[in-house]
Amino acid sequence: MDIFLDSLFLSRLQFALTTIIHIIWPVLSIGLSLFLLIIEILWFKTGKEIYYRHARFWSRLFLLNFGVGVVTGIPLEFQFGTNWAPFSIQNGDFFGNILGFEAAMAFMLEAGFLGIMLFGWDRVSSGVHLFATGMVAFGASLSAFWIMAANAWMQTPAGVHLENGRMIVDSYSAAIFNPSAFTSIAHMWVASVETTLFLIGGISAWYLLKNRLRDFYLVSFRLALLSGIVAAPLQIVLGDLSGDVVARHQPAKLAAMEGHWQTNLPGQGAPWAALAWPDREKQVNTWTVEIPYGLSLLTTRSLTGKVTGLRDIPKENQPPVALPFYAFRLMIIIGFSLLFLMLWSAWAFMKGHLALPYLDRQRALLKAWVFSAPLGYIAVEAGWITREVGRQPWIVYGMMRTEDAATSLPSGLVVTSLAGYALIYGLLLFGYLFFARRIISQGPDLTSPLPEPEKHSPSPAGAGPALEDRQPLAGD
Amino acid sequence: MQDLHLFLANIWFFLLGLVLVLYVMLDGFDLGVGMLSLFAKDERNRSIMMTSLGYIWDANETWLVILGGALFGAFPLAYGVMLHAFYLPLLLMIFGLIFRGMAFGFRENADNKVPWNVAFGLGSLMSTVAQGFILGGFIGGIPMNGRSYAGQAWDWLTPFSLLVAAGAVFGYALLGATYLIIKTEGEIQTRNYRHAMIAACLMLLAATGISIWTPLRHAYVAARWFAWPNFIYIALLPAAAFFSFLMLMRSLQKRHERAPFFWSLGIFFFSFIGLAVSLYPYIIPTTITLAEAAASPKTLVFMLTGIGMLIPLMLGYNAYQYIVFRGKVREEEGYHSSS
Repeated sequence: MDIFLDSLFLSRLQFALTTIIHIIWPVLSIGLSLFLLIIEILWFKTGKEIYYRHARFWSRLFLLNFGVGVVTGIPLEFQFGTNWAPFSIQNGDFFGNILGFEAAMAFMLEAGFLGIMLFGWDRVSSGVHLFATGMVAFGASLSAFWIMAANAWMQTPAGVHLENGRMIVDSYSAAIFNPSAFTSIAHMWVASVETTLFLIGGISAWYLLKNRLRDFYLVSFRLALLSGIVAAPLQIVLGDLSGDVVARHQPAKLAAMEGHWQTNLPGQGAPWAALAWPDREKQVNTWTVEIPYGLSLLTTRSLTGKVTGLRDIPKENQPPVALPFYAFRLMIIIGFSLLFLMLWSAWAFMKGHLALPYLDRQRALLKAWVFSAPLGYIAVEAGWITREVGRQPWIVYGMMRTEDAATSLPSGLVVTSLAGYALIYGLLLFGYLFFARRIISQGPDLTSPLPEPEKHSPSPAGAGPALEDRQPLAGD
Repeated sequence: MQDLHLFLANIWFFLLGLVLVLYVMLDGFDLGVGMLSLFAKDERNRSIMMTSLGYIWDANETWLVILGGALFGAFPLAYGVMLHAFYLPLLLMIFGLIFRGMAFGFRENADNKVPWNVAFGLGSLMSTVAQGFILGGFIGGIPMNGRSYAGQAWDWLTPFSLLVAAGAVFGYALLGATYLIIKTEGEIQTRNYRHAMIAACLMLLAATGISIWTPLRHAYVAARWFAWPNFIYIALLPAAAFFSFLMLMRSLQKRHERAPFFWSLGIFFFSFIGLAVSLYPYIIPTTITLAEAAASPKTLVFMLTGIGMLIPLMLGYNAYQYIVFRGKVREEEGYHSSS
């Protein structure tokens, strides 16, 4: 087949494959490190053993997750050089610089305190341990900040000019805080938090449904729920703001996401296509289910606001349409489903139905949580596909085309690396799911001794009775 | 302006060298322990070896990520060209690092440890060999056409790079064995005294071969080394490396616990200064100078504030982590009981 002779296509496929699989782990590292920080603050403040048990249990998942995240992330940094050398040479002044910042400021901070956080319980005081957990969580989020700033710059480049084939930075503040930086960083960060919360909530709900360790898992379920009440609606607001930035700065992407071909005439509203079959050849939708005025209203907040259609954009500058169109819709459906589940749960919570004695009457709600556990991940993938495919044919929007950015490599070489990555990433994903399932189904260790730091003991915890003997564990 | 740019490029050459040496020394002993695990006597010994790295391998590997990011930002042209030229050995290195990381993540949770033992040992070996190939290919020079790589995919594979790869294997094994001497006791420690001795002798052989062959094969190195009066100063470096070797052998014979590791680090340290001296002012031997490849002065300054000035801080909290976990491996503390 011809595509296997096209090293540009193969390099794109390889980058897509490795990023699509890699993003699974950072999402949970960001969210779970924050969750662990909150749990540990609760343990530090109250000294209640159950928080310590939670910290240790979820730490095991974190350790597994972080390790796989690290090793799948390294190929990304190197691929910019191996497969996208012209991109790297042109944009290194800004893009490489920011990747370097991420490594030095954020990544090393995480790695440098990870050992203490995971293995140092008996070696440092509880205060130092809490600090280490805080640094890991801070590092993970800071890492998201830099990576998203770099990616946002590729979407809406600013603060630079091209000089002899090189991007020279005029203003770092303009480049880092480019027009889409804030919405991109916030949207991805909250996505990580929300995905994590629904995963933790889903795992906990599974235990509650099975009537195993209910007093233990009710704690994490409620924590996930309480944080989710903020995260789920916030994410929808941030998504809307992101769409706004796309409409203003990347009209071709917006038109592709919405399957919008014909710019609406003055005085007429652009309809919103709920479903459609886009035909890029004929520059129309073969069929469509439309809501009149919808797109004008969504993007311009007025019934007849002008929304540029794809036909007004030269064909060679148009992104693919069907993929962003459907990926975008998938993300939105999930976002609203999670919001709905959150409202339902909040209502049940306020009625007092989410307490130990009443759990059996909430089976439908708990089942919905179990079902929702992987949805955040799917939304993240769909969102990224919309974002990156919608930017095509540009690698740096309006400044460098993807076809000019790839290293000219013999296709056999790229087939080799692509096959290797596909095999190894598949193995990693399979192994991760297998062992994550095992960690989760093994459940917490409720009997091992509490930590005994060599210097001084933690706050009033140590002396309490063992967990099983306590009655209303989750009653607070 | 031109002077300032050159000055900044020189600073970044120094900083990249520093990060490279840190990576090689720190992940070097990790990879060394990994290769030595192939010779571990039993499952318990292998667990001790992996536990000795559990708290630190991530951080050590991160120096490689910083090296990549800093090279990408400070010398984009060198980054693009070198990574293109070393496509295959980089792939081998990355796959090796993935196998090693997989072993750390999965082994503790697995009933059957064998596949992950193999992944740990062979992954470490793969990465080490690949790093040797890259270094050997790099010293060999990279043909350029304008601003892109003009060579072939297999150019890095030469008898010379094979010798460098062998040197890397023995060198990292030495670092790993001397690190394990610090972290273990009893029978496993005794084994590592022996392993360190063997690795040191093999490394000396390889290093001697590389030192003689390099100036013979590469005129630019010969020109730097054998110019009078530079020769006197530069000759101090191999002399210092050889002195470290003698001290290493002495400390191994006297069964010192910490000294062998630090003398091994010394050998690496002086060898890499030697490399930097041979290279300067090229960042890609004989085709691209530092100034040609460097990013704009503004980027170099910005990176100094964001990366350069953080290096002492990073060294500080990394050192703290070593201090927290100082002393012999506690078997109950590994990945294996992290529940």
